[in-house]
Amino acid sequence: MKSASNEGGLSPIWNWKITALSFALLFFVGILAISFGPVSLDFSKIIKSLFGLPGGLTGQERTLLIDLRLPRALLAALVGAALATSGAVYQTVFRNPLADPYLLGAAAGAGLGATIAITSAGADLYSLLPIFSFFGAILAVLTSFFISGKFFAEPNSLLLSGIAVGSFATAVQTYLQQRNSSSLRPVYSWILGELTVANWQIVTWSSIYIFIALIILITVSKQLDGLMLTDEEAYSLGINPNKLRVIAVVAATLATATAVSASGLIGFVGIVVPHLVRGITHRVTNRGLLTIALVGASFLVLADLGARTLLSPAELPIGVITAFVGAPFFLVVLRKKRLVNQ
Amino acid sequence: MINVEDLTVRLGTKTVLKDISVEIEDGKWTCLVGPNGAGKTTFLKALLGSQPYSGSITDNNIEVFRNHDRNVAFVPQHPQIPTGMSVSEYVMLGRSKRDGWGNESATSRSLVAEILKLTGLFGMQNQFVSQLSGGEMQRALIARALVQEPTLILLDEPTSALDLHHQIAVLNNIELLKERGVTIISTMHDITLAAMYAENIIVMQEGAVLLNGSSQSVIHSPELKSAFENRINVYTLESGRPVIVAKKEA
Repeated sequence: MKSASNEGGLSPIWNWKITALSFALLFFVGILAISFGPVSLDFSKIIKSLFGLPGGLTGQERTLLIDLRLPRALLAALVGAALATSGAVYQTVFRNPLADPYLLGAAAGAGLGATIAITSAGADLYSLLPIFSFFGAILAVLTSFFISGKFFAEPNSLLLSGIAVGSFATAVQTYLQQRNSSSLRPVYSWILGELTVANWQIVTWSSIYIFIALIILITVSKQLDGLMLTDEEAYSLGINPNKLRVIAVVAATLATATAVSASGLIGFVGIVVPHLVRGITHRVTNRGLLTIALVGASFLVLADLGARTLLSPAELPIGVITAFVGAPFFLVVLRKKRLVNQ
Repeated sequence: MINVEDLTVRLGTKTVLKDISVEIEDGKWTCLVGPNGAGKTTFLKALLGSQPYSGSITDNNIEVFRNHDRNVAFVPQHPQIPTGMSVSEYVMLGRSKRDGWGNESATSRSLVAEILKLTGLFGMQNQFVSQLSGGEMQRALIARALVQEPTLILLDEPTSALDLHHQIAVLNNIELLKERGVTIISTMHDITLAAMYAENIIVMQEGAVLLNGSSQSVIHSPELKSAFENRINVYTLESGRPVIVAKKEA
């Protein structure tokens, strides 16, 4: 790629170096995450046992690495990438910088599904919690789509019906919780997000859905810039904006529903990470979607490391960490935006 | 020659365009004139293919506009201005249909640089479009249309909301397009301005075509006066240019 000063002073639209750097970041953070914890694992030992050399990990350490740390770090990376990418896509589609992956009722729907699984203890549905929350999220978003109807004409009508469906699902969830007060604690801890349940089975199925969604979104990411214009301009530049919006929202919802069902509600990642990447690169363009995915993955892996180690041996809910970083950051972004607009 | 036949557009229960049949000359500037709600913008959208319609719009007997087969540039009246996008990126979007989205060929880069110079935007190429003034934004839109190298360009009220100084600049920029052999169709409120620049004028009223022909013939036709309920006067300047002014109510 040529430097910015060449070719009549046109600066490049996206710099691949930023993407390469975020790959490196994810790798580095991943190593930190599998090395640190209540029991620290020496990284040189991890490498040695990986290549079958002498002086590697003991059998117990191996189990710790392969059965606990590795799936957990992978799940954090998957969920982080899914939430950050969906957030960025929703923000473009709805032309709203505050749009969030949970906006269309996915969060409330998943919450209701999870609550049903937790409260019907007699039927022992707890192991089916991910399935319940997955379908809860999908069902809620489909309902929002169905109610709005006019989505094609006005994206904001979908937003509004998403809010209505979300409130309804939350109301039902609260009713169920009140009837089964013993469920309050597990539901509450699920709402704050948890990666403690991570195992290879969850990693496998969630990676399938999340990868499908991310591949679709990154494939259309360049065209998503066209949605920042009026629909007529998009048509004139060779894009069918309505079709593109449906593809983007469906894929982003698949990623969100999978993330929610695998790890509960982890707030703020979908807003903080896209704005962080855009803030640092000064680019709103969706060409940076892959970078947003990688930084989202790194962010959540790091947040999970904090959740595991800050109060060690006790664990903090990961949603507490992301909100703790996210809320102040959000205010800074808002303030900066206001200054730019003045 | 673009041939519009029985073009009808319904939005809900309302018929916005009724059986419009007109011919639009290649390489000429045709201006759609008429009061608000006459259906001018809807006509443009139908030509663009973003508005479903019945009837046909053909170019040399081939129905093309519905399928977006033609390279048609569109300059909106109220553009959605993206944040965090530089002027050069914004203008480069005009090459998306040719290069594929997100790709920039060497030809495109040099063309964009050339057009930025032509439209007086060179030097601002790394500024954000969101920081441009109204007049600069209008020029950025024209620049994007120019790099698109379209066969047809549609402009929705290109001069509204601009002061006289910028109006002249924009109209001259549109002349640039015409020099390149592009067919131009625009809507315009100001009929005097339309008569000054455009070769042909189509006067619309309540979704139908009232008058259609060369600017001179339309301006001097008695039907024009009746369209404005006889509340206008048409004067001819020494240069032969017509001026239309509103009659002062007694």
